[in-house]
Amino acid sequence: MPLSTQSQADEAQYVLVASLDNARNISNILKAITFKDHAIFNATPNGLKVTVEDSKCLQANAFIQADIFQEFTIKEDSVGFQVNLTVLLDCLTIFGGSTVPGVSTALRMCYMGYGHPLTLFLEEGGVVTVCKINTQEPEEPIDFDFCSSNVTNKVILQSESLKEAFSELDMTSEVLQVTMSPSQPYFRLSTFGNSGNAHYDYPKDSDMMELFQCTKTQTNRYKMSLLKPSTKALALSCKVSVRTDSRGFLSLQYLVRNDDGQICFVEYYCCPDEEVGED
Amino acid sequence: MKFRSKIIDIGCLNNFTRVVTTISKLTKTCVLRLTPDNLYFVLSGKVANGGVGMWCELSQANFFDEFQLEGVSVKANEVCLELAPENLSRALRTAQNAKAVKIKLTKKHCPCLTVAAELPTMSSMSRVVTHDIPVDVIPRRLWNDFQEPSMPDFDVSIYMPPLKIMKNVVDRMKNLSNFLVIEANMNGEMNLKIETDLVSVTTHFKDLGNPPWGGDGSQHSQGDQETMVQARVDVRKLQQFLMGQQFNPSKAMCNIVQNSILHLILLYEDVSLQYFIPAVA
Amino acid sequence: MDCVVTGGNVKVLAKAIHSLSRIGDELYLEPQEDGLTLRSVNSSRSAYACFLFAPLFFSRYAIPNGHGFRCKMAIKSVQAVFRSLASLEKTVEKCHIELDGDKNRLTFTLHCKHGLLKTHNLSFQDSESLQAVFDKDSSTNVLKAQPRVLADTVLNFPPSLEEVTVTVSDERVWFRNHVDQEAELSKAMLTELCLSSDEFDHFAVRAQTSVTFCLKELRGLLVFAESTGLPISMYFDEPGSPVVLSVTDSVLDGNFVLATLSDEPCVRQKNPQRAGTSPPPSDDFMNDELESCLIAMDNSMAPGPSVTEAVSAAPPRHAVSPPAKADPRRTTNSEPEEESGEEEEEEDPGRPPNKKFRSLFFGSVYPTGSPLSNRTMASQKVLASDSEDDT
Repeated sequence: MPLSTQSQADEAQYVLVASLDNARNISNILKAITFKDHAIFNATPNGLKVTVEDSKCLQANAFIQADIFQEFTIKEDSVGFQVNLTVLLDCLTIFGGSTVPGVSTALRMCYMGYGHPLTLFLEEGGVVTVCKINTQEPEEPIDFDFCSSNVTNKVILQSESLKEAFSELDMTSEVLQVTMSPSQPYFRLSTFGNSGNAHYDYPKDSDMMELFQCTKTQTNRYKMSLLKPSTKALALSCKVSVRTDSRGFLSLQYLVRNDDGQICFVEYYCCPDEEVGED
Repeated sequence: MKFRSKIIDIGCLNNFTRVVTTISKLTKTCVLRLTPDNLYFVLSGKVANGGVGMWCELSQANFFDEFQLEGVSVKANEVCLELAPENLSRALRTAQNAKAVKIKLTKKHCPCLTVAAELPTMSSMSRVVTHDIPVDVIPRRLWNDFQEPSMPDFDVSIYMPPLKIMKNVVDRMKNLSNFLVIEANMNGEMNLKIETDLVSVTTHFKDLGNPPWGGDGSQHSQGDQETMVQARVDVRKLQQFLMGQQFNPSKAMCNIVQNSILHLILLYEDVSLQYFIPAVA
Repeated sequence: MDCVVTGGNVKVLAKAIHSLSRIGDELYLEPQEDGLTLRSVNSSRSAYACFLFAPLFFSRYAIPNGHGFRCKMAIKSVQAVFRSLASLEKTVEKCHIELDGDKNRLTFTLHCKHGLLKTHNLSFQDSESLQAVFDKDSSTNVLKAQPRVLADTVLNFPPSLEEVTVTVSDERVWFRNHVDQEAELSKAMLTELCLSSDEFDHFAVRAQTSVTFCLKELRGLLVFAESTGLPISMYFDEPGSPVVLSVTDSVLDGNFVLATLSDEPCVRQKNPQRAGTSPPPSDDFMNDELESCLIAMDNSMAPGPSVTEAVSAAPPRHAVSPPAKADPRRTTNSEPEEESGEEEEEEDPGRPPNKKFRSLFFGSVYPTGSPLSNRTMASQKVLASDSEDDT
């Protein structure tokens, strides 16, 4: 193992060690939540959860399960820290993040605990890069209190069909309005821009619709500026689950398949913008 | 002063275009020196261009099927022109499938380097496209500024890693910092380093080998071999150099004068390119 | 209006709108008996484009009875309907265009694969009909070429190039980049391309001449012509009179009318008035970088779209821009006086404005009986502000 250049003494001090044969398996999924610099890392024996938030109204989480890593050693029940995500991504892709088959960057990520940097050892083709990224004490992520028992409406779509809609969204509209209903229009995305409004309707029997469980007609508006970053997650994903709860909170869950065919999840929560009459 | 030349071979045209395109990515204007045997693209390392210097040398016989030159005088059989390499690059790029390309010095509205290409068409007649590239003729008294730079008295000389890998690393480092430290020793090791408040990154290349310059260059004692010699440079200048490279050189070398100059040399089959980046404090 | 476009024609329609967007910011839409017209004009009035889609282009074409309806809207918003041009062919099965006059909105409904329905409700403004006065059939010179021939030609010029000069002789055509100022001449690379008449499908040169016009619009039309595979015809006379670029097939007709540079030596010289501290309003044009490209509008009162008189036959009474609905002047009741007032400020209407480029004149036709009839905008002000916008 070319990365095992560290001394045994160092090794013993790390509270967290995670290794990947292909750094893209983590860098890609982190790209899906990169819209603010600060990212909260929380590692548990189950894996790694990375959280990014905006304006207390939007939260994105990326989950990378422990078994995605070739090695995942954690000496405490929970290890948390905060780093600059943009910097981390530049480090993870230091060799260019090649998509050429057979060329990949091996990664070993180590953390000694509070006050220490997050240390990355990256190796590709015999060239080694060592990065030390300063860490901060993690902030407590917002609890959106979104539980599945409160879910009013839920649809699962193939991401392909939503990608088109999101790429065409009228950005002069301040909000994206989501309508979910057991009757027409079933699932509707609407914008209200400078030159008019637009509605994208997905029938419940569309072959893009994998699941349709809507119990009550709900129309909620979400700030376009908040939802726009989720397009990155959409672009990487193959399926997306759209859920709203009784309060109108929106949950978008993206199923992302990595280079090795393993599945990871990215999740976005968004607060509704304002109350809208049901019509 | 007279200059007329012709390229017929499509491979030669492609290669020449790539050379000129590489030059155009390195500098907005440069001096083109024409001698009976060679062409030189020159940027003298003046403060005006951030101290960056460039010297690119081509043997005309490797590219041109015809090459006629009458210089300023019999004694000084040369022509020295200042031009925007981007213009020449664009002119050549539009002529990529030409049957023949002529490049000549002309007197139009101003002195011009005229590129004329015969382009194939679907009809029986071919199309002719001409590009008149304005040039400034450099008077002989200024020629001294555009002589081949002397080899700096470097402290270390090392072969460079594959330029594509180096480019990827430098591109990322540029996102993180404005300055980069490049260091190397006579043991075939080179490091690229950046350090900021947020992060420190070091990329280690090894087993690169050191060119045998003969004489002084290899007179280092065993103890010296491991000692790193470094130069801190503006990342953008190194990035620009790496970005411009259109194809892999047969040899790529890097000479460092401690805290003074980074001297990069690329050797191709029929072209050599030297690039000088000043170190900053 | 209620029409339906299906299959590959959706893309043709979309491409037409995209190429019109190279001309101006607004799309003028007018359903007529002989088809749907889409038009645009640029802010400096130096370029105008019009597409006519015949009823046969549509799988359903129904227009309101009685007097013609006309409207205009931001071209960007219509472009947005057809944003994913690349995937349009694969995803859109049917496009339904419907007018709701009561709600003042035009609805584009795209029926897409997998049952996805995209509905765009666009607001619009009433407008006069925008009509350029040109008569391409009387042109001295006509060239017709496959789009590939012209596209390969244009490729030789840098994307930043604004104007191109086309010179014709009996057997050849030269394309040159036009360099405006003497000062720039020493820096600019001059490119010249010589094409033989063999490359053209049709080559009728009756007078050797040289015209200079903006390249941007030609590029815009080329995008359309290349995607539809239609040859482009080019009609032109002497410098200063417009060049018309046309594409046509059995169900559509597209005409791009572009002002050309006048080569009159007197207007080449600097107009002393320009140096004055308070030039007359019309001279504001001269501050425009594209001073060369000026088309004045004529609000000739001739009814209907049949106004195709030659420039000399119908000297313009006004240089006028299409009335903006938002213009507060519309609400006043003293138009006739205002009109005559305007006229006094004008230069002698019988002679073309003293511009480096001779103007093109449009007939700007109001629907008969419309409240907009016989109304003139404070044309020079509007035009002057346009040219300021450009700087």
